[in-house]
Amino acid sequence: MGGRHSLELALPGASIGAVAGAMAGGLTLFAGQPIGMATLSALSLAVPLALFGGLYGMLLGQGVFRPGTFGPVGIYWIVAFPVSRLVQESLYGVGLAEGVLPFLGYQAMVSVGFAIGFVWIHERAMPHWLMRRADDNPIARDLLGLYVRHASLLQARKGRRR
Amino acid sequence: MDTSKTPPATATPPVEDERVWKAGRLEPMPIRKLPDAPPSVHILGPTVFLVALGVGMGESYMWPRLVLLFGPEIRWLFLIGVTLQAVVMLEMARYAMATGESIFSGAARVFKPLMWFFFIVAIAVYIWPGHLSAGAAAFEQITGIPWMVTAIAGLILVGVVFSLAKVIYNVLENVLSLLIGALVLGTAVVAAMVGSWGDVVSTITGMFSFGYLPPEAMSAAWFPVIVGACAFAGPSGMQQMWYTLHLRASGAGMGAHIPKVRGLAHAGEEEEMPSRGFMFDTEDPAELAKWKGWRRWVTFDALLLFWGITMLVTISFTVIAQSAVRLDPGVRDVIRDGEQSVALTAMANAVSSAGSTVLGGVFLGFIALIGLNATLGLFDSFSRGQADMTFNFIPGAKKIGMSRLYAMFLWGVILFGILILLFGPADGPASILDTLAFLSTFAMGAYCVTLLLVNNRMLPKPIRPKWWTNVIIGCGAVFYLGMLFYSLFAFGVVVG
Repeated sequence: MGGRHSLELALPGASIGAVAGAMAGGLTLFAGQPIGMATLSALSLAVPLALFGGLYGMLLGQGVFRPGTFGPVGIYWIVAFPVSRLVQESLYGVGLAEGVLPFLGYQAMVSVGFAIGFVWIHERAMPHWLMRRADDNPIARDLLGLYVRHASLLQARKGRRR
Repeated sequence: MDTSKTPPATATPPVEDERVWKAGRLEPMPIRKLPDAPPSVHILGPTVFLVALGVGMGESYMWPRLVLLFGPEIRWLFLIGVTLQAVVMLEMARYAMATGESIFSGAARVFKPLMWFFFIVAIAVYIWPGHLSAGAAAFEQITGIPWMVTAIAGLILVGVVFSLAKVIYNVLENVLSLLIGALVLGTAVVAAMVGSWGDVVSTITGMFSFGYLPPEAMSAAWFPVIVGACAFAGPSGMQQMWYTLHLRASGAGMGAHIPKVRGLAHAGEEEEMPSRGFMFDTEDPAELAKWKGWRRWVTFDALLLFWGITMLVTISFTVIAQSAVRLDPGVRDVIRDGEQSVALTAMANAVSSAGSTVLGGVFLGFIALIGLNATLGLFDSFSRGQADMTFNFIPGAKKIGMSRLYAMFLWGVILFGILILLFGPADGPASILDTLAFLSTFAMGAYCVTLLLVNNRMLPKPIRPKWWTNVIIGCGAVFYLGMLFYSLFAFGVVVG
């Protein structure tokens, strides 16, 4: 039961990862690439990004990450994003012309941008999902409590009108 | 602290602080408590507006173009431009957070005609729908829907959404956050797939080639283009001034004491808008400690959210442009010719035709997304700024109310935009954008001077800017106005 509860928290992050990955591959359809090739390319990036995105949500529920902070998430994606890209390039890429290390180095740099975009959207989506699941899922309820405390801190200052 | 105390009119002890802060000749600001600052490390906030407005054609088109023509070394000018804008942002925030007033009100406290100057410049520059047509043209490339149809539909949609919203700021912050999140996420994925280590290294190292200017750049053909691109590095024109209105609407600092602007459908529920801002007790150490918390909060915004995201998107687009030229060297010639829409299409085609897994459609999709962000942000900002000035400084306007004034300016600019799109000079998107650059640059020099005057004369001494900040803002004025007039007198050409 605890596993299912934890898994439920993975949904927003997994969705963001999947959409981001599918965006790149799926759009090759418009570019006239064969459908099969484009789909496989999309999947090979979407699946690892979705897995890592989902894992982030679960770790958030376990208290490894805190809501509303960027640093640890940035470090997480510096590892996770290059690995995802390496999986994609290894399966359906055109080859690593520059070698593995420069490739990973470059992907790590880009991953900072990916992390910002990911956190930005995740912070918007997660509270809505938690509100839907809080009644049946104790982990979601606890995490929602954290978000609410954070929000009430912000609300307190807004409420102090003259 | 230069305050005056008014004795209570009755024997009953006053509930509220009766002290005021006198700034200029306008109504003094009552002293109120400064709210507690939120944690300095945060993710979402009013900077999203500045990013939405700032990450525009400069980042996605102008600078990648200059890099392709003059090499990555030209980007040192971009670094200076964006860093300068981060300091300007911090100084704009200083006045807005300390008083809950916009920078326009600050300008009026110094010298009222200064504010009217910005009122007129805003109308002259921002009623043209140029920013909209560039994004819509990109959308046409993807979908085949004529750009004018998209542009007009977009205009009406923006008007309806903003009119129905209960609190406009909340709706817009949510929408822009999602759009920018998608933009940043998608740009990173595309850059990850088309770029290389070499591209990004040359792009970044180029930012530190201070003083680099190739002979060709100092020509009548290219110097004005560079000046225009510097003005478009980060938020251009009056966007920084509008940021003070968004800070206030988000409840930052003393903005917490000011009610929010509502959509037209909810104008009746509007709380009474005060005709001036507030000041906190700058002689109270506890209040000053809270102030430092607010400064940390906004500094985080300026450095990570604003500077970081602007840099990131530009570096990504530059990497994409470099890849496009590597894939199809003919793109360089098209870009040099300067027709923006053709150049963007060529870049998109080069990326998609190379058999890479990334497509030109994504690229054009981002251009459309940037256009949409800019449109949402600009329409709201323009209406907010003009309504603020009208409400506070045109006699009788207070009776109409802030929300209705906002709606009047919003629908005014929308209807004018539709008329121009239908019957106006059909110069095409790029030429509209280019003609705005001169006034934009001039306004930027002017607001640097305004900032110096407002922050150093209208704020209590303990919260005035440090000398080195003043030097940077002063250099900003010289940078924008100097380049503008050098271009005008040396080459006889305004910015391009």
